[in-house]
Amino acid sequence: MIYIPIADGIDHVILDVIQALLPLVVFFLIAQLVSLKLPGQYILNLFKGLFITLIGMVLFFQGVKIAFLPAGQSIGAYCGTLEHIWILIPFGFLLGFLTTFAEPAVRVLCYQVETSSNGYIKGTLILYALSIGVATSVSLGMVRILYGFPFLPFIIGGYLLALILIQFTDHDFIGIAFDSGGVATGPMAVTFLMAFAVGVADSIGGRDPFLDGFGMIAFIALTPILTILILGIIFKMKKTGELS
Amino acid sequence: MLSDFRTLLTEVTQAILPIVLLILILHAFLPGVSAHTVLLFIAGSIMVILGMTLFLMGVKIGLLPMGEAIGSEIPKSGSIILIIITGFLFGFLATVAEPDVRVLADMIQTVSEDGILKTQLILVIAVGVGFFVATSVLRIIYNVPIAYLFAAGYLAIIGLSLISPSNYVPIAFDAGGVTTGPITVPFILALGIGVTSILGGRSALSDGFGLIGLASIGPIIGVLLMGVIFV
Repeated sequence: MIYIPIADGIDHVILDVIQALLPLVVFFLIAQLVSLKLPGQYILNLFKGLFITLIGMVLFFQGVKIAFLPAGQSIGAYCGTLEHIWILIPFGFLLGFLTTFAEPAVRVLCYQVETSSNGYIKGTLILYALSIGVATSVSLGMVRILYGFPFLPFIIGGYLLALILIQFTDHDFIGIAFDSGGVATGPMAVTFLMAFAVGVADSIGGRDPFLDGFGMIAFIALTPILTILILGIIFKMKKTGELS
Repeated sequence: MLSDFRTLLTEVTQAILPIVLLILILHAFLPGVSAHTVLLFIAGSIMVILGMTLFLMGVKIGLLPMGEAIGSEIPKSGSIILIIITGFLFGFLATVAEPDVRVLADMIQTVSEDGILKTQLILVIAVGVGFFVATSVLRIIYNVPIAYLFAAGYLAIIGLSLISPSNYVPIAFDAGGVTTGPITVPFILALGIGVTSILGGRSALSDGFGLIGLASIGPIIGVLLMGVIFV
């Protein structure tokens, strides 16, 4: 019988999740007492939902910790020793693209966009645009580790580009775009993708794995903004095309 | 609820399976992989799939309606001071409680040579988020175009990043993304949509969204400012 330590350190994970939920619950309870005054049965249902969220988040974080964190490290370390090292650039793209599908907050954003727009903007469309954004970032992160390029001009240029794109995009997409930057840097990106990048930087040597990993997360917060703004431009062009 | 669970489980499994399979295939090439490693990975992946399914199910019946209820209540109070205080406190508390923020604070401590206090740093980030959540609720109420806020915020960031010490800059941008974790995101999203739903003449899309994006600006400015002041 092989012992698989799936519950190692789960107590910390449970505490972390409870701690993150707590202020929201307190905040809600104060609002409930002061002015909301929702019926007891409704409140009970909300707390059922909170409890399910709690269990789900604990399972998710623990799963990421025992499975994806070590996998990211060992894959990164292995890839750094490859002969044709440029392969990391398309490979990073693939990894970034696929992990975004496993990011919980991304799912919630896509769901909210679809509901709020009454299905006019499909959640899957936002999901794909976001995934392409993250994928590009991981590729860029790999280029940076392999060949090295300065971080600041790239980030500043990226945000300036975002401010320019705002002028041309459909207004409905501006808020969604900047929200995407925040949701893309979730637990999957921060643990799995960062472990991968640090693993690569470590095995190649001569790089500061720590700072390279940081840089990649900053790219991941930026590129989805750009891809969603571009999606908004495409939407706008389609709209005006249909009108004329 | 059970049929909901099944539909979601299928959906989530389809979404996560590709990355799981890719990693499993890669395990064949990795040196020093044992049956134990593979089993642990499979067990963890099952936990991730189940966990994500439960999370999404719970969010729809818990966090989203909660956030919307509070959001639609905020403008009713009519008192601007109260709205500002509520928005600020909410952003502040949610950030202090976010586990990722503490991890980030630890990392920043190792980079800074002058030994910035961890609590000090968490406070700066939390004040930044609180300030911007309050601003974004006010923005929805007063109907200020969101583009102006993003433009002002990011221009300030660009300016500050040019004068802040270079090792602070990547961390500052990281701080922006990290502060909004999977538990606060649904709540803040719903809050914005709740506020828009109660006010006339607002679009759920162009007015309700953007709170998370604005909340990310606060910590970036906060950390950059710390770099400018303390080094």
